[in-house]
Amino acid sequence: MPTRRRLLAWGAAAAAAGPGLAACGETAGAARMTRASRRRPGQRAHLVMWTWVPLRKAVALWNRKHPDIQVTVQMVPANTSGGYQKMHSAVQAGNPPDLAQIEYWALPEFMLSGALTDISAYGADTLKDRYVDWQWQQGVFAGATYAMPQASGPMGFFYRKDLYEKWDVEVPRTWDEFRAAARKIKKRSGGSYISAFPPANAQWFSSFPWQAGARWIRTEGDTWIVDLTGEESRRVADFWNGLLRDGLVLPTQDSQSAFFKALQTGRLASWPGAQWQDALIRGNAPGTTGRWRVTELPQWERGAHASSNWGGSATAIMQGTRYPREALEFAHWLNSAPESIDLLVAAGYGWPAAKLELAGSALGRPDPFFGGQRYNDVFQRSDRHVDTSWRFSPTTTQSYARIQDNFGRVLAGHGGLRDALRDAERSFVDDLRAKGLKARAAS
Amino acid sequence: MTTTGRPARRRSGRTARPDGRAWRFLAPFLLVYVFAMILPILYAVYQSMLTVERSGPTGLGKPSIGFAGLDNYALALDQTAFVESFARVLLFGIVQVPVMLLLALVLALLLDQLPDRWAGLLRSAYFLPYGVPGVIATILWGFLYVPGISPIGEVLGEFGFQPDFLGYDNVLWSIANIVVWEFAGYNMLIIVAQLKSIPQELYEAARIDGAGPWQTALRIKIPLVRPALILTCVFSIIGTMQLFSEPLVLKKIAPAVTQDYTPNLSAYFDAFANANMYLAAAKSVLLAVAAMVLSFGFLSLVNRKQRSER
Repeated sequence: MPTRRRLLAWGAAAAAAGPGLAACGETAGAARMTRASRRRPGQRAHLVMWTWVPLRKAVALWNRKHPDIQVTVQMVPANTSGGYQKMHSAVQAGNPPDLAQIEYWALPEFMLSGALTDISAYGADTLKDRYVDWQWQQGVFAGATYAMPQASGPMGFFYRKDLYEKWDVEVPRTWDEFRAAARKIKKRSGGSYISAFPPANAQWFSSFPWQAGARWIRTEGDTWIVDLTGEESRRVADFWNGLLRDGLVLPTQDSQSAFFKALQTGRLASWPGAQWQDALIRGNAPGTTGRWRVTELPQWERGAHASSNWGGSATAIMQGTRYPREALEFAHWLNSAPESIDLLVAAGYGWPAAKLELAGSALGRPDPFFGGQRYNDVFQRSDRHVDTSWRFSPTTTQSYARIQDNFGRVLAGHGGLRDALRDAERSFVDDLRAKGLKARAAS
Repeated sequence: MTTTGRPARRRSGRTARPDGRAWRFLAPFLLVYVFAMILPILYAVYQSMLTVERSGPTGLGKPSIGFAGLDNYALALDQTAFVESFARVLLFGIVQVPVMLLLALVLALLLDQLPDRWAGLLRSAYFLPYGVPGVIATILWGFLYVPGISPIGEVLGEFGFQPDFLGYDNVLWSIANIVVWEFAGYNMLIIVAQLKSIPQELYEAARIDGAGPWQTALRIKIPLVRPALILTCVFSIIGTMQLFSEPLVLKKIAPAVTQDYTPNLSAYFDAFANANMYLAAAKSVLLAVAAMVLSFGFLSLVNRKQRSER
């Protein structure tokens, strides 16, 4: 029976715990560290993987081929909709999965909370040459590797061939031509736009400074340097700001019902987007089959082939696993074996991070939705021209949200995109400092 | 037990402290209450005074936990967006709570005039939105707000209006509309219950004195449902301070809803998007204190008024 004395005892215990609890109750980072346990011959290793990518078929194939290393897939909500929250909590509680789906931009955040296993220690670096270099580098921190790259999203320009022909508009090859085409489309179509401008999608927006050669994040010694207002970023911001001011782009959030309706009805005649959006367009605008084509992003310099990326994720081996070697072996197979990649491509997971011959794979086929174009040739060229020194900060979730908040304000008529980036740069630095990191703005 | 020195008007039937038997009956409740309420609150207060200390190149070395004192509180109050979010929910409350309660009161009074059969049907109809979870309600209303999809927008467009329900200046009131839709019926039901408990003799007396329906409503019903109004008002103040799921769901389609739109959203994003549990704990404590000050402040205000009227 809980007497008052017992209640008092509880209260006293809680109060006396004070800072002393820091030692036992609270741990920074992972509660359990990775340790390879020895397997007897014939003993099975069980691995658990958390992901939201539909890769069950590939995993089933692995399980058939490798009876001694069995992988269980557990579906979690995609990225910040709940998946990452769950992973962070599990690592802190000491019961993490062995493997997890983590996007490139989120890897530094997981590094910061000590959630990833250094897989260089288990021989990961010998596999480096099998992957596209910039994607491999996304998982490398201070010379050690922490994640196996899986897929990315090279950028391209989706456009409605029929509409461009109907309105007699040339497909833009430079950003200047893009602006001119935007004017023509607005004038001749009666209510259509060359593109949407999603204010709350800093990942989409950042692909344009990335293409122009900006470096939003870099490190110097032990300091993080944030540069949202460099010359290239300002140029891109002013460009889109002009389009917005003149009403030449449709300010609407992408991948929402209004956006899909605009794709379906021809209100959007084109869209600069990532390779993995082919499935989204195909699925949400089925009435436009055969009318879409893909070409490379418009350029700042005529004749150049600068490209960039939006999206992409890795298979990370989490801190606390008992089978790091087996997990690495599986992660490598999943992301590089041709039979696995074909299954993943069929499930629409993005652009493979492994170096790959397109001709033999599912990506190399002509597609009736794109009028029989072998549109992935465009994305392969794009992937090869992605500038490889782009990095992400360990505060991306929060700091990119600040950019989005500021862009929302611009759309409501308060200031321009350039000011929005300048304000976001300040809070970006504050976010890093709030995490106990050294940081400064570049300018 | 002696009663000397105690105020003479002390309400009877309540002794100073529960005896052993009472504790036994209270035990199940207290056990759950301590584990599910008191301890988590103490833990949150404790967490709000911790911080992560970083080391190594670019801070990616092994982190450790340190005692931060009130640093997290200072950091939270230093964020203009977080402080502004309090102003935003206050503005929201000042407008939305009276509108909702007025609507609830009017509905309750109207239902009281109707024959029982119709009153029952309409009461359920008004109460129905409360049965729809807030998230679902917001998704529903979201479809009615999004430009290009919204039938409301289309109809208004025919008359030359182009309302932007999700715009920077409007979205707060679009959220208020959802909250009113959800909770007006619920609050109405509380007021209806209080109306039902008014003795019929009072109405008879009023009728005999020549009071019409208007006067009965203004002079008898409204003063007598005052306790219910106070109760619903306190609930609404707390609910307003904790505004969360409606803006979170609308955020996906309305860029004007920032991650610091309400204090609760701000704490949520710090905890689960930004993995800074300690700052989030500080913000939650600040929010709890603000909600407490407001609701107790309101209660003592109306109680003082009541006492001075006597």
